[in-house]
Amino acid sequence: MAIYLIRRFVIMIATIFVIATLTFILMHSIPGNPFTTQDRSTSEAVQENLKAHYHLDEPMIVQYGIWLKSLATFDFGPSIKQPTETVNDLLGRGFPISAELGMWTITIALISGITLGVLAALKHNGIIDYIAMTLAVLGISIPNFILATLLIQQLAVNLQLLPAATWSSPMHMIMPIIALATGPTAIIARLTRSSMLEVLTQDYIKTARAKGLSPAKIVIKHALRNALMPVVTILGTLVAAILTGTFVIERIFAIPGMGKYFVESINNRDYPVIMGTTVFYSAFLIFMLFLVDIVYSILDPRIKLHKKGGS
Amino acid sequence: MKRNWKLSMIACLAALVLLLSACTANNSAGGSGGGEEGEDKKVLRLNNGQEPTSLDPPEGFDSVSWVMVNNLMEGLTRLDESHQPQAAIAESWDVSEDGKEYTFHLRDDAKWSNGDDVTANDFVYAWKHMLDPEQAYQPAFLAYVIEGAEAYNSGEGSADDVAIEAVDEKTFKVTLTAPTGYFLNLLTNPAFFPVNEKVAEENPEWFAEADTYVSNGPFKIDSWSHDKELIMVKNPEYWDVDTVKLDQVNWAMVADRNTEYQMYQSGDLDRSSIPADNAKELMESDELVTEVQAGDQFLRFNVQKEPFTNEKIRKAFAMAMNRDDIVEFVRGIGEQPARGFVPYGFETPDGGDFREENGDLIQDDPAEAKKLLEEGMQEEGWDELPAVTLTYGTNTENERLAEGVQNMLSENLGVDVTLQTVESSVFSEEQTKLVYQLFRGSFLADYGDPVNFLESFTTESSSNRTGWSNEEYDQLIADSKTQSDEATRYEMLMEAEKILMDEMPIAPLHFYQHVYLQKTNVKNVIMHPVGYLELKWADIE
Repeated sequence: MAIYLIRRFVIMIATIFVIATLTFILMHSIPGNPFTTQDRSTSEAVQENLKAHYHLDEPMIVQYGIWLKSLATFDFGPSIKQPTETVNDLLGRGFPISAELGMWTITIALISGITLGVLAALKHNGIIDYIAMTLAVLGISIPNFILATLLIQQLAVNLQLLPAATWSSPMHMIMPIIALATGPTAIIARLTRSSMLEVLTQDYIKTARAKGLSPAKIVIKHALRNALMPVVTILGTLVAAILTGTFVIERIFAIPGMGKYFVESINNRDYPVIMGTTVFYSAFLIFMLFLVDIVYSILDPRIKLHKKGGS
Repeated sequence: MKRNWKLSMIACLAALVLLLSACTANNSAGGSGGGEEGEDKKVLRLNNGQEPTSLDPPEGFDSVSWVMVNNLMEGLTRLDESHQPQAAIAESWDVSEDGKEYTFHLRDDAKWSNGDDVTANDFVYAWKHMLDPEQAYQPAFLAYVIEGAEAYNSGEGSADDVAIEAVDEKTFKVTLTAPTGYFLNLLTNPAFFPVNEKVAEENPEWFAEADTYVSNGPFKIDSWSHDKELIMVKNPEYWDVDTVKLDQVNWAMVADRNTEYQMYQSGDLDRSSIPADNAKELMESDELVTEVQAGDQFLRFNVQKEPFTNEKIRKAFAMAMNRDDIVEFVRGIGEQPARGFVPYGFETPDGGDFREENGDLIQDDPAEAKKLLEEGMQEEGWDELPAVTLTYGTNTENERLAEGVQNMLSENLGVDVTLQTVESSVFSEEQTKLVYQLFRGSFLADYGDPVNFLESFTTESSSNRTGWSNEEYDQLIADSKTQSDEATRYEMLMEAEKILMDEMPIAPLHFYQHVYLQKTNVKNVIMHPVGYLELKWADIE
């Protein structure tokens, strides 16, 4: 196990390094710089001062060196767009909010998705199956930003039940969580249903039935455990994507999470923020994939981490 | 064994969720909900769209910072209801005969929100800080009218040679390189606001948080939850505090215009911008408020690329526009068509309006446009017009405008132009390198004077971006800046605008306008044309 962990850790560091280097190259190869202005005047001297201030006048290789240093120390320096704050400030403030929203979303999506999927599989081709799968298809096909706008219009503007946007009380969290959880719920429900159907026809389930186990025990202990493998597989990526913030939903509900920094930093050519968010996201994603591998071994004891690596 | 592991993982997850929800519970207890406390309290709820770039006066060089800083701070002068600079922290001033030396007398009762006196030194400190090349503040170039400022900011001079001086506690003297008719107007830009030297020396990051922010304007910061909400309250130390009617201003930071409008509808905001899709129906609303915005949208011709090397062809393109249609059908928010470059709203010394006095310098005239196009092609010896591409930065509004222009050129001139959309940052950078042929331009004023618009097209200006250069024009702009007689100065500027519109490196399309919805019980919120919001006189009935 220890060897496996060390190996994974080294690969993780190497991957992050490669991602960071590629980002650096891509970032500097797109035209534009953080200080160009569209409709305000500015002066040459001021532009020069700004470039010098952020070391953008140095040769690329020196900038790369500065960048590697900030990567090693996890100190990405101040944002260019919001100069009074460092990238670490922005991430430190945005991530907990995105993570909170994400946690709830994932929890609700898991619970309702798995429940729907299992029910649909058990009542295969029954009325519950059709209802659940119709909901799932709807959930997958309605983009979350449409759902979000509809929710606000109905629940906040017309019925005045919930606050329209911003982020301060549990009431504010209801609509964004619904909007964000619908898609994943649908995906999880469909995955659970199909793998559940497959598992239920297996010999060992028949054996379990023959042994006289209660239906509940068969489903929970024997069937579900194996049926969840595909769900776990997508969960790693899903969790990383949702916990680090979703640009559109956070924008619509004015949630001060991390999502906007991904998109806006690129539009603004805010190099330190691009770097910070990319590295943070990739590290988080790699870590989640690692967790998924561990969960595999719990669900299926035949998967041995330390022998075949399982990556 | 395995079961235990699973259990503990679930426990960890649950603990994390609990922890996170505990964090928000604390936040919400401290933050929002100011709207309901106290029945007589006058609370205005506005949306800034985003976190202000910076509340350090010279650092936030954009509208989202200005609207806040202008209400937290006050400079030597402040714009009044009719957008004219009036005495503010400076009670009065003397101007030397040659118009170059300004001596400001600060108010005795001008105080900072921590009780300190606002002194001449605070201005000296703030301005030199703004000009410090190490700090690299964007608006520093605005101060180049001060003697020694440009040299210091470009790293060639020293701070000591910048001609600003605290004669005593309450007397502040500035020497300019030339008499500058718009100097008092320039001073209303937040870049020229004072900074409490003592506070800034102790804590260089004083402007980053609510509890360290020391201001001298009508309001002060009560709380600031970054990226989420900023609450301002009336500043009891403000010299003119009796004029201030609002007790509190809550600023949301909602970026999405639809959400902003929905919050306005559900009663969470008192003022909202108009989402593009709803513009038509909302233009009829009695909650609609429009104000002049000093800025315009236009097309730039690259005079170094065919076919726009030819002046007649440039004019043909400019005359083929139907500006009334652009304003009515493409924009649809009641703006004014632009037939000159300087917008309405600049008062001439004899009390007239710059735009009206200088008249329509370009006509919408398809017939004349066709004739000019033919003549231009003949001059160049072209049988066929070189292919033309119109480039714009990617966004829906720009796209609509570009399609409108494409249509008019095709209908009125028989020229088919290709549209090209480019990501905004790339567009900004490449237009300064003169990569494009025909492309969208826009300009927003930094301070309220026509010269701010016209100086954009001098040969050296970074806003020129057309490759156009005219010695007479450059000379007129330069001379206007040293001219102490206002009437003569305005004549020079009008002359310069005529040259610009005669050689036509740009084709103006329309002037901008601030358009809002505002609850009818909100009064006297003023948006100055240059983009600073004024809440000093605002009231809720």
